[in-house]
Amino acid sequence: MKALTGNRLTDGEVVFWKAGAWVERFAEAELFDDAQKAEAAEASAKSQQTVVVDPYLVDLIESDGLWAPLSYRERLRALGPTNHPHHGKQAEGGAAIEALRHASGAARSSGRVKLIKR
Amino acid sequence: MYQYDTLDKEFLADRAAEFREQVGRRLAGEITEDQFKPIRLMNGLYLQLHAYMLRIAIPYGSLNPTQMRALAAIGRKYDKGYGHFTTRTNLQFHWIKLADTPAILDELAAVDMHAIQTSGNCIRNTTADPYAGATAEEIDDPRVWSEAIRQWSSLHPEFSFLPRKFKIAITAAAKDRTAAKVHDIGLMLRRGRDGTMGFEVIVGGGLGRTPYVGPTIKEFLPVNRLFSYLEAILRVYNRHGRRDNKFKARIKILVAALGAEEFARQVEEEWAKIGPEGDLPDTEIARIRGAFAPVHFDTLVNRSEIFEAAKAADPQFARFARNNLREHKRAGYTIVVISLKAIGETPGDATSEQMEVVADLAERYGQNDIRVTHEQNLVLPHVKLDDTPAVYAALKAAGLATPNVNLISDIIACPGLDYCALANARAIPIAQDIARTFADQDRAELVGELKIKISGCINACGHHHVGHIGILGVDKKGEEFYQLTLGGSGAEDAAVGSMLGPALPAGRVADAVDTLVDVYLRERQEGERFLDTFRRTGVAPFKEAVYADAD
Amino acid sequence: MPTRIKLEDGQFNLVEDPFTYASDDEDLPRGDLIISLTRFQAEGERLLSEGRSVGVRLEPAEEVEVLAYDLPRLSVIAVSFPKFNDGRGYTAARLLRERYGFKGEVRAVGDVLREQAGFMVRVGFDAFEPADGSTPEQWAHAARRHRHVYQRAADHRPPAFAERG
Repeated sequence: MKALTGNRLTDGEVVFWKAGAWVERFAEAELFDDAQKAEAAEASAKSQQTVVVDPYLVDLIESDGLWAPLSYRERLRALGPTNHPHHGKQAEGGAAIEALRHASGAARSSGRVKLIKR
Repeated sequence: MYQYDTLDKEFLADRAAEFREQVGRRLAGEITEDQFKPIRLMNGLYLQLHAYMLRIAIPYGSLNPTQMRALAAIGRKYDKGYGHFTTRTNLQFHWIKLADTPAILDELAAVDMHAIQTSGNCIRNTTADPYAGATAEEIDDPRVWSEAIRQWSSLHPEFSFLPRKFKIAITAAAKDRTAAKVHDIGLMLRRGRDGTMGFEVIVGGGLGRTPYVGPTIKEFLPVNRLFSYLEAILRVYNRHGRRDNKFKARIKILVAALGAEEFARQVEEEWAKIGPEGDLPDTEIARIRGAFAPVHFDTLVNRSEIFEAAKAADPQFARFARNNLREHKRAGYTIVVISLKAIGETPGDATSEQMEVVADLAERYGQNDIRVTHEQNLVLPHVKLDDTPAVYAALKAAGLATPNVNLISDIIACPGLDYCALANARAIPIAQDIARTFADQDRAELVGELKIKISGCINACGHHHVGHIGILGVDKKGEEFYQLTLGGSGAEDAAVGSMLGPALPAGRVADAVDTLVDVYLRERQEGERFLDTFRRTGVAPFKEAVYADAD
Repeated sequence: MPTRIKLEDGQFNLVEDPFTYASDDEDLPRGDLIISLTRFQAEGERLLSEGRSVGVRLEPAEEVEVLAYDLPRLSVIAVSFPKFNDGRGYTAARLLRERYGFKGEVRAVGDVLREQAGFMVRVGFDAFEPADGSTPEQWAHAARRHRHVYQRAADHRPPAFAERG
């Protein structure tokens, strides 16, 4: 299972693809179990040059019945920095945030290599 | 502080206006991200994990209260009310919006500040001794030369698209507080045998994947020949530095590949062709020197009764005085180091309120002079000993009086995976764990000087290679692991640390450091710092102790 | 006839380009030519003796020193930027102007973008083939964004310290 993410151009906010638009909460992200659909969405996202920077697909893992990013880096992007629990998306709190926090599973995400270029 | 005149101010205003235009073109889709990225990097704007990060230049680590207040205000208005001081004495804001950056640059320009060339493949902030102008040890004020280099390197038309980033550090004292020997160019001011001033020029130091202590390329360069020689170095690098592989593109790779002797020969050859025409006129150096605001010192005696009485009355103040003050060249004065390493806090971070406290203190007690060190602390370089109790009280109330400068909890840590898109692991929680382990100030003083430096990835922004204990975050199958090194130094006795053993999981790092300290305390001889004991015993007793526990 | 942006007397204009590029393996057309360094070293003498105006296209790894003796007879040096961030072309242009006193045309070709106009003019480029569709007006604007410069370069603009007088 995958999701599509990037950073919003105007403010750098981490965003997730949902049906052609972008949402700020990972919990609302569109999930792709079909590789072709995922890649088509990624191609479409890449053409949105004035909306999002460097969109890429990330691998997901199941946690507490919800999906979460497989890699720790992607979970940090979906949550916020660990030294300031009131900064970033995690400040919202709630079940979805908690599920992200509890997710484990740590194999390298497919998103990592692309990130190095940024 | 160098006083900007009309020309300097107009330069900043024009650069800010240029960037405003460029941002507009990017937002309108007239330039692609690939074309825009080098432009925004040359204005210090990164795209990180959570938002854009803006790295504001603090040239040679020097600012005045007005500038510090502007940073505090920008942090409040455009960020989350705090900033992070870096190992290159710049300031980073981690929650910036691209769309706000033009306004931020305008506000910075209004107080003679900027973000020019704090990133990108160009000449970066030239750093200098944070005690410049206050220490008796220096043979000249390195800030004068840093400012001259800042101007010469700003929007240099030939050297703005180098193979890779380029960092210069200048020191003028025997004690090196800038890590000059691990810079692309380290300039060490020296007196020649005939009494004239010159630079020992070190080229090709660096950290990262391939750390090097740089070799001396020129033993003595007369100071008035600095700029023609710099031009020669940069030109040789621009032409011959590798451009095929980002990880082999720094000048240190070129120097190592050619060998120091051949590299020096190529520079001399180019230098001869440039000739004195490439130098800055002596009148300009004199003008820059004169444009630094004069510092007025009162004539005082060495001993301050107020200071002595305060120490006797308050053991906490005495501890602060023991650890956080440094000797000043003038009788009755001291250098105050402000620790941004409160136990359990993020190393190098300061809130807007804290910045304002420092600004107020500099204004009231400190000759309007504030410095940033490459160890992520602040300095008030000119404070009367008589005023230190009042300064201490204000710092303490603001959480800025942790008496741990140079001690084990005075840790350098990069932002790491909590913020940085390049990181493999977090650095901040490791620093916090270690600091908490050594929160007992008596124990910290017993241990003495121990420089721990933590990087979240091999790019080494935390300078881990030159830590007495260096800690490098690595990704082992998606988990955060940490590689420890021992015996590095960024001072005049520069050295790259040696590996201790296999990487440790995050939860074991603070314990391992505790074990290392126990070994040191057991083994140490009279007067030895941790670094000295390590250099005498080698890694064996340390490795044995840390990995004997592992099962 | 193709054009390039030319900087003359401080003005940026679109000017007809009398030069034709010829690659290493094609037959040489008639008239004024820009050829590679390799080809120039093989055939340059002959072409010049035919009375043509000849230019050389320099790739980043090719150093201007190699052309030192031929420069007085060359009309144009086309300095190539395979990627806009390959900065070797800036050194090439500056040396051509300042060290060798080259009076012919120094042209920026390849991945040439208007945002580099300021730097390029300063190191002595006076002709540009932009890759981004930019116009002479846009180049003029980009080249003039800074009232002051801090260092001497090929354009002889007085650096700030000279302006202060």
